[in-house]
Amino acid sequence: MSGNWLVVVDRQDVGALGRLVPRGPVTALVVGDRDLAESVAGSGVDSVHWIEPAKDAPAEAYAADAATVILAAGPQLVAATPIAPAARAILGAVSVGCGAALICNVTAISGAGEHVEVESAAAGGAVIATFELATPLCVLLVPEDELPLAGPQVEVIPHPEAKPALIRLVDQQLSQSTGLADAARVVGVGRGLRSRADLDIVQELVDQLGAEIACSMPVSEDLGWLPRDRFIGRSGQQISPRLYLTVGLSGAPQHLQGVRGAKVVVAINSDPEADIFRAADYGIVGDLYEIVPALTEALASI
Amino acid sequence: MTTVVAFNIAREPAAAQVLAHGGLTWTARKLPPAEDDHAALSVSVALAGDGELIGVTLGQGDPSWALARGASQVVRISDVMVGDDDAATAAALAAAVRQVVDANLVVIGDSEHHPGIAPVLAAHLGWPLVLGVSGAATRGESVEITRHRGAIDETISIALPAVIAVVAEAEESQPPGMKTMLAARKRPVQEVAAAALGLSASPPLDPVRTRLPEVTTARLMGGDARQAAAELVKALRAEGVL
Repeated sequence: MSGNWLVVVDRQDVGALGRLVPRGPVTALVVGDRDLAESVAGSGVDSVHWIEPAKDAPAEAYAADAATVILAAGPQLVAATPIAPAARAILGAVSVGCGAALICNVTAISGAGEHVEVESAAAGGAVIATFELATPLCVLLVPEDELPLAGPQVEVIPHPEAKPALIRLVDQQLSQSTGLADAARVVGVGRGLRSRADLDIVQELVDQLGAEIACSMPVSEDLGWLPRDRFIGRSGQQISPRLYLTVGLSGAPQHLQGVRGAKVVVAINSDPEADIFRAADYGIVGDLYEIVPALTEALASI
Repeated sequence: MTTVVAFNIAREPAAAQVLAHGGLTWTARKLPPAEDDHAALSVSVALAGDGELIGVTLGQGDPSWALARGASQVVRISDVMVGDDDAATAAALAAAVRQVVDANLVVIGDSEHHPGIAPVLAAHLGWPLVLGVSGAATRGESVEITRHRGAIDETISIALPAVIAVVAEAEESQPPGMKTMLAARKRPVQEVAAAALGLSASPPLDPVRTRLPEVTTARLMGGDARQAAAELVKALRAEGVL
C-alpha cells in the first residue's frame, strides 16, 4: 500500500490524481456508491478502500471511520479537494489523527520521502507560495477539470464496519427549475449593467443564443434584479455549460467557482484589468451597451 | 447550552499586500472579518436564542466585532497568530472552545480561502460536523440544517454537541453603527496565553518563498463593436459551442 492517499467523495475529485501521481502510487479512499468506487478503481490508482454510506447519512457522517482506515496505513501524504464537504471533513480527521499540517489551495507537490515542497495559491490566487513541510501532511488540492486516463481495474476493498456519526439526511431534493443545470449556453450578468431595465438588451442576446440567463451574487442578493436561483458561485448554482458568456461581470473567485466546468468562457467588460479576462478564453474590452447588441445582431445573421 | 462562534480566524485576501515582485505580506495586527464571518455570527445568534453566545478568536482577532453583533463575551488566545497551516489555527481554536464552560455548539464561517479550519476544529473536539451550511434552527437536542449544494437542497439533522460551518449567501445587510461598536468595546474579553493552554506561541507557518503566478489572458477581439462581435462569433463557431 502506498503512502499517498486521495479522498474521493465526488466523481470530479479524481481529476486531482494528476497532481499526486509524480509522488508515486496513490491509494484512494472512496465514500460513495459502488459505481463511484468502481470508476475510481479504473482511474490509475493503486488500490481503493470503499465506504458505502447509508441512504439517510451524508458522507461526512463517516469522517471519523474513513480517517481510521487511512491512519491505519501510516500515510505520508493525504489529499482531497474542496468539491464535496465530506472530503474536507475526512481530511480534518486525518490531520488530527496523525498530527499533520493541513495546507489549502495546493497546486503542485514535489519531493519524496519525509520532506515535501508544496505550492499553494495564496491571497486569493494573487501569489504562488511555496512551503517546505515534513510528512505526514494533509493537502486540499485545487481541483482539476480533466479526469485522468483510465488505468487497470484494481481491487476495491469494502469497509462495512464503518458507522455514521450522529448526522442524518432528512431531505434531499433538486432545487433547480431554472434550466441552468442542463443549459448548454449561459449568459451571466454582473454589476456592469447600469439598471434593471437594461436586462432587456441582455435578454435579447440570451434569446438569440438559446441560452439561460444567470448572474453574479450582488445582482441577485443585493440588487434583486434576478431571483436567487439564478446566481452562480460558491454559495449559489454550479454549472457546466459548453459556453458561459459574461456581460459586465468582474470575475470574483467566488463567482468563478460556480463555472469551473464550463468549456468556453467569454468576457465582455469595459475594464481591461478585470479578473474575468484571466479566466476567459475569449474577450472583448469595451462598452457592453454597444457590444451586446452588435453580438446579438451578428448571431442573428448566421 | 452555550453556543460558541469563532471569528476573525482566517487570512483573507483583503489582509494581504502583494508586492510587484511577488512578495507577500499580511496585516500584522488585526485581520479583517472573513467573508463568511457575518453569516456565521447571524446563525449563531439565532441558534443561541435565550442562551449565552461566546465568541472565540486568536491573536489578530478584534473582539469588538463579535461583541457588537450579539456575543456576550469573547475568549481570545492573544499570542497565537493565524498562519497558513489550517491545522495549527484549528488546534488553537479548539483550545479556546474548551475554555467555554458547557459549550455544545460551535458555529464558524466556512472560509473559502482556509477550508481546512472547520474540519480540523471539529476533529479536535471529537464532534460531528456539517460544512457549507446556509441556514440552521434548533430542534430539541439537535440542529436542523439547510444546505445548498449545486442543484441540490439538503436538510440535515445533527445531534449536539456539534460544529457547523456557515457559508454567506449575501453581504452583511445591517452592520452595527458606531455607537454599538463603542459600547461593544466595554464588554468582557478573556485574554488567554497559549502557554496556559499547553499551546506553542511559535510564529505561524509562512512560505519559504513566493512568486507571481503565470498569467493567462483571454484572446481579445479587436476593432469596433461590430467587428469584435463578428470575430467572436467566428471563434465560437470554430469551438463548436454555438
